[in-house]
Amino acid sequence: MTFKTQKALSEISHIRDGFAASGYICDQKIATALHLAQQLEKPLLVEGPPGVGKTELAKAAAQFLGLDLIRLQCYEGLDESKALYEWQYGKQLLYTQVLREKLSELMDGADTLGASMGRLNDFEDVFFSEQFLQERPLLAALRQEAGCVLLLDEIDKADSEFEAFLLEILSDYQISVPELGTIQAKTRPLVFLTSNNTRELSDALKRRCLHLYIAFPEPAREAEILKARVPELDDAVARQLVDFVAGIRKLDIKKPPAISETIDWARTILLLSASQLSAEFVEDTLNVLLKFKSDIEIVTPQINTLLRETRDAS
Amino acid sequence: MFIISDFVRVLRAADINVSTVETIEAGRMIDLMGFADRELVKTSLSQILAKSESDKETFDDCFENYFTALSFADASEDGVAGDAGTEHPASDNAGAGDEGPPAASQSLANGGLSEMVLQGDNVALAAAMARAASEVGLAEAKLFTQSGLFTRKIMESMGLDALEQQLIQFRREEDAAGVEALEGARRQLFEMVRDYVDTQIKLRTANAGRRVREDALSRVKLSNLDRSDMRIMRGLVEKLAKRLATAHSRRRTKAQRGVVDIRKTLRRNQSHDGLLIDLVWKTKKLDRPRLITMCDVSGSVAAYAKFLLMFLYNLDEVIPKTRSFVFSNQCGEVTDLFQQQDLEKAMAQAVTQYGGGSTDYGQSLSDLAHYIIDDIDHRTTLMILGDGRSNFGHPGHDILRDLAARARRVIWLNPEPQALWNTGDSEMHRLGAYCHLVQSCNTIRHLERVLDNLLRAH
Repeated sequence: MTFKTQKALSEISHIRDGFAASGYICDQKIATALHLAQQLEKPLLVEGPPGVGKTELAKAAAQFLGLDLIRLQCYEGLDESKALYEWQYGKQLLYTQVLREKLSELMDGADTLGASMGRLNDFEDVFFSEQFLQERPLLAALRQEAGCVLLLDEIDKADSEFEAFLLEILSDYQISVPELGTIQAKTRPLVFLTSNNTRELSDALKRRCLHLYIAFPEPAREAEILKARVPELDDAVARQLVDFVAGIRKLDIKKPPAISETIDWARTILLLSASQLSAEFVEDTLNVLLKFKSDIEIVTPQINTLLRETRDAS
Repeated sequence: MFIISDFVRVLRAADINVSTVETIEAGRMIDLMGFADRELVKTSLSQILAKSESDKETFDDCFENYFTALSFADASEDGVAGDAGTEHPASDNAGAGDEGPPAASQSLANGGLSEMVLQGDNVALAAAMARAASEVGLAEAKLFTQSGLFTRKIMESMGLDALEQQLIQFRREEDAAGVEALEGARRQLFEMVRDYVDTQIKLRTANAGRRVREDALSRVKLSNLDRSDMRIMRGLVEKLAKRLATAHSRRRTKAQRGVVDIRKTLRRNQSHDGLLIDLVWKTKKLDRPRLITMCDVSGSVAAYAKFLLMFLYNLDEVIPKTRSFVFSNQCGEVTDLFQQQDLEKAMAQAVTQYGGGSTDYGQSLSDLAHYIIDDIDHRTTLMILGDGRSNFGHPGHDILRDLAARARRVIWLNPEPQALWNTGDSEMHRLGAYCHLVQSCNTIRHLERVLDNLLRAH
């Protein structure tokens, strides 16, 4: 048992290192979730506030594993024909037009309607074959020889019917297409689902997935992330910056700044070549960090206090 | 795998819904990673078993209580491996700290217990304790008072008899040091087992008591509630409201078969050379209800109003456009108050501001009409909560008639039982005539049902 644990731990730290190399700093929890998802072959449902890197996680995983990333952006009204497969009606029609003469040749000699139907029946499968099948992300993911990373982004935006439709894929890695039968995954893809929790997902879906909650990172980890993403940034400034952002997140505002916004802000600092956070600079660039006017109004009078706190901390 | 299934039971007792599949998955995970690293096990189990933010918090609590530092370590490993103890490689056991024979391979009956106790091999003891607990069915314990019984049973199952035999033997041999050591150890064992049993029972029953209480409270008449019940009640209302919100929060598009949407069909079939292959049917989007509520906050019905408003407060997600009014001898709007203030404060302020006088329906309804007459339309549901007792004043039924003519529906919730309507100064027959639904409503269950119907109808 101890041996097993050691092996698992070493694999987990291997994942962390691999992700760090591709610029995604993950903590023990995230790495454990990835390891579990791989080993148990279960989809991973990632939840958390917007902008903590849920989608990035899937991208980084694809890069780490050296697999293709197939992404399906979910939205209201998404259905099978856009997610799974569709028949190429246009192509089918074109082929019937072109083959019309050939068809009448074939029909030659069939006296009755029944006989021609019979002959036509023999060719029916020609039109509903793989040739005319337009593959969409889900089918594409199942048919990848080498396996892939499948990302179902913002699953909470899709309808509950679509959620139900996904269950077959998530639990058995297979899909039933009426015309072709059941398609099994050649290699089981690593599936990520992300959700912003705009609505509760069904229990059936949750049951089939591992659940990972990513919260806003600790200042130390956020500083690491900044370092990986914006390497030109001075360490001290980075530290001050993440402390400041952490301070803002504690305030009662509509949309707390996410990691992606911290990164944008860091880039702004570089661009304006500010050597440290000053009150004026913060006030001028606050709109990079905060996306609502009301939020900016709440934070602006607090800037000096927040800056003092960050200075005390560092 | 006893530990896992038992832990899952504890989670279920704490209101986390864990399915069988998830339990199996947890087993596979343990198989894969072992039990040696506590943090790793915790993170992994939490990812497999707890599927929402709040569940994760509960999970953390349960985990900390269930796998106390002592009973974790290699103990749980033994518990999981069951009789696999003999297969342990020597190096594995050295890690446990104590020298000595592998604990799990020992038979408990032949004096193993006294040896473990004397050597202070806590890890082995914890394992034996967990196994004994499962043998005597500690998981079935329902009441706190059973703690003594189970402590005794577990100690017996761990081989208390043999230990006492040995104690007697020591006494016969007049081995004073041995007797003292063994007695001390027995006391220690007793305390250890009792602690364990107490924690375990608490883990399993803490929520059961609350659940019984909640169930009772949801049926008790709102006017009979104690002040001390308010806190539980508030949690209950939040939970019920959340359930309603989840059930109704889906965007409602209803397909209306039979009518082709020409515009969409043409557009969708452009790629087919204008041949119409895919037909698109017209769909109808169902509106969410617009709700206007008017609650009596005069002394007699204030308790009910409080709960209705509490419900509405929590249903904000599903019914976003709610306007709330309160009245006694005049009517005032509290929508903003409820949006800005915390519920308790808002409620208190509403009552002090408007709840002073004796009920005057005529005046209140005409005030209400003044506020809402322009805002009320065919999508609006007007919900009135009051006992319909107008203190022999004008009931204002003509105003209600005008309002009802404009609104989609008027619902009247009366906290009095139906038998009391139309007695004394009750004007329910006149006011009720213009309502689409008049219902007696005096428990949380009733309220939930009414709101559920309201949401369903739209």
